[in-house]
Amino acid sequence: MTEKEILLDVPVSPPTEMFIPIPKRFLEKAYKDDDFVVLVGPQHPGSGHMRIILRIRGDVIVEAIPDPGYVHRSMEKLAENRLYIQNIPLLERPAIMDTGNVTLGYVRAIESALDIEVPERAKYIRTIIAELSRIGTHLYDAGILAVFLGHTTGFMWPFALREPIIEALTRMTGTRITASFVIPGGVRRDVPWDVLEFVRKTTFVIERRLKGFERIFIRNPSVISRLKDVGILTKEEAIKFGVVGPFLRASGVEYDVRKVEPYDAYENLSFDIPVSDEGDSYSRFLVRVEEISQSISIIRQAVNELRGMKEGEVISKALLEDLSDISEVRSDIRGYFYKIYGNLILPRGEHTSLTEASRGTLLYSIVSDGESNMPYRLRVVTPGWYYLKGFMESLKGERLADLQAIYGSFGYFPPEADR
Amino acid sequence: MSEVLSEIANILSKEHFMENMVGIPLLQPVIDYLINIPLIGYMVAIVLWKPFFALLIFPGLLTLLVVLLLIIWFERKLTARIQWRKGPLEILRWAGGIIQALGDGLRYFFQEVIVHRDSHKPYFLQFPILIFIPVLLPLLFIPAGSVVAITSPYSLIIVSAIISLIPVFIVAIGWASNSRFAYIGTIREAFMYFAYEIPFIFAVLSMIIVYGTADLTLIVEKQTIPGIVLNPVACLLFFIATVMATSRLPFEIPEADQEIAFGPFVEYSGIMFGLVMTIAYEKMYIMALLLSVLFLGGGNGPALTILGDLAPALWLFLKTIVVMGLLAFLRSIYARYRLDQALKISWTSMLKLSALSLAFGIVVSFAINNLGWLT
Repeated sequence: MTEKEILLDVPVSPPTEMFIPIPKRFLEKAYKDDDFVVLVGPQHPGSGHMRIILRIRGDVIVEAIPDPGYVHRSMEKLAENRLYIQNIPLLERPAIMDTGNVTLGYVRAIESALDIEVPERAKYIRTIIAELSRIGTHLYDAGILAVFLGHTTGFMWPFALREPIIEALTRMTGTRITASFVIPGGVRRDVPWDVLEFVRKTTFVIERRLKGFERIFIRNPSVISRLKDVGILTKEEAIKFGVVGPFLRASGVEYDVRKVEPYDAYENLSFDIPVSDEGDSYSRFLVRVEEISQSISIIRQAVNELRGMKEGEVISKALLEDLSDISEVRSDIRGYFYKIYGNLILPRGEHTSLTEASRGTLLYSIVSDGESNMPYRLRVVTPGWYYLKGFMESLKGERLADLQAIYGSFGYFPPEADR
Repeated sequence: MSEVLSEIANILSKEHFMENMVGIPLLQPVIDYLINIPLIGYMVAIVLWKPFFALLIFPGLLTLLVVLLLIIWFERKLTARIQWRKGPLEILRWAGGIIQALGDGLRYFFQEVIVHRDSHKPYFLQFPILIFIPVLLPLLFIPAGSVVAITSPYSLIIVSAIISLIPVFIVAIGWASNSRFAYIGTIREAFMYFAYEIPFIFAVLSMIIVYGTADLTLIVEKQTIPGIVLNPVACLLFFIATVMATSRLPFEIPEADQEIAFGPFVEYSGIMFGLVMTIAYEKMYIMALLLSVLFLGGGNGPALTILGDLAPALWLFLKTIVVMGLLAFLRSIYARYRLDQALKISWTSMLKLSALSLAFGIVVSFAINNLGWLT
């Protein structure tokens, strides 16, 4: 038997037109006004996984259209096919270095639906983890801002500084970044006091090393000249465009969910909200630097509070009613996880929670049909998605080279915004 | 006819080359032995003939290659030290990864050179090679003691003029690339060219006034006091102009990789990218050599009799390496300025400094000629 060559008469031709998601009106206007259309991204060293479509007159940005969605992972749809408890690691993925805050919002929505009271000790442990993640995220964003400005030392130092934080998280939770440590009704395990002492010492290390970072990057004249008076959002604009978090506070609005609707242990801890009136890129950066020192103070206070507390109760009693021996489980959930949470069913209705994540307000809204152990619909609105509009508006009237400075000053993180 | 032929034979004879040979007492026995072997002796005589030695060994081709390999490694290693990292390590581990640049170069050789459809193909492929003409020509005029290829009363002016040609080639590279980012990078390069050229010329001019000559050999001889003491303003100006001309941070504006992805060179790949990437380093080497000759006394230094004519070359090499190290150090402490900020710096404060350095040069020149300094 010999092999015969078979020729299929299927005409194949390469595509002649490339699809670019630009409105026709945009191109016509650019052509009429003799402007220059520049596509930044989606595989650009300075834009992350997002395309920004710019209309440029000379060197000045006239119009900016965002084209997000390149790292969309359909978190909301995936969540509809998982148990409530399985959604915690899933929802952690959009912002993995912000593990504490991202999971906290979802867990708190479940807790408010089931009306579970969290033990006092667990509240403080959650606060410590949330604040450690906040410092880590702010350092990460500072590093990205630095590399956008071409300052490689300013990129490497914060990333090295994140290492003690990750080490502290490892000792507390057992993993470096995606901890999934916060669970409905408390936290997975109790944290022994020697680990808490390590966390407290870590804050001093960070504080000391931040001084060096301040000398080489924050007070560097070339950095200040790049960020000062660039990408200004006034107070009115910031409110109008729905900017959230540190970026809203940099425009002079004193709004922080931790103060307005305190959750966990924030009620009992004293801390300031750094606010700036300028609303430019530099103040957006400085507000977050100041937040790091506030977070350090919060962690120290929380560790001090935990010292005087009885060890061993980190999971709510209400969840453990079916178990015979609850004293062991209350300090460590290991081995009982699916027994307790496998059949978690939320009451019918919509349950919402607001959290102050590192980059701003984070909204979770769980719609439950009241009979299944999976959410009917889960709505996540991440801070990145909230402030994308403000980010695009602040680009207008700035120079093309400022795009990176403004991008970095917002700490825009496409995986978080795209979910 | 026979006279002309005998004249040519005389010029090409071994004896003619041996009249003007680089004297190295340390290697003299070896040279004496080699020079008597028929063919090899002739080659040794040519290589050690001073103009050819300058072209081939120092400050010419061989040193340029060594410096290129070293400075890229040194820059990465220094930056890594400052940034709590290790830097290149795995290639030749016992020497700290010193041949990393060589490894990268070899890799470039085996990568495909992509010439995209919209480029102007002949120019796109020619210019990265043609640019070596203005990059290498200045090396002929840089004196290392008595080792120099061409001596001319106008050598400093010629060197400055040839250095000014390099941006023209980079603009041409950007034009031939025919892409948006290359276009923006090219315009930035052109703007930066105007930004540093005037301060650079003023710095050179004020040094010509100070020394009263544009012959680099004479300039080195006159520097019993180094030029940096005679006119520190011009030295500062020259240094900043060097930083701008070689697109080092904080003025790495034409090639800003986070903004416009290497600007004029965005479309290059393979060995062509390797070639265009080294242009900035080669320019840096020439500018550092010129800075050493003008302001740091060139080949002047403590006499090392054992090295003979190589001693000035060694001093000049060390000074150049120090200057280049300083330029590499800037990378880890500064962020990038915006184009308009760099232009503002250049056209205001640097222009003022230029006037100041010129005035300073005139005063110093007056003091040298009438009050008897430098005698």
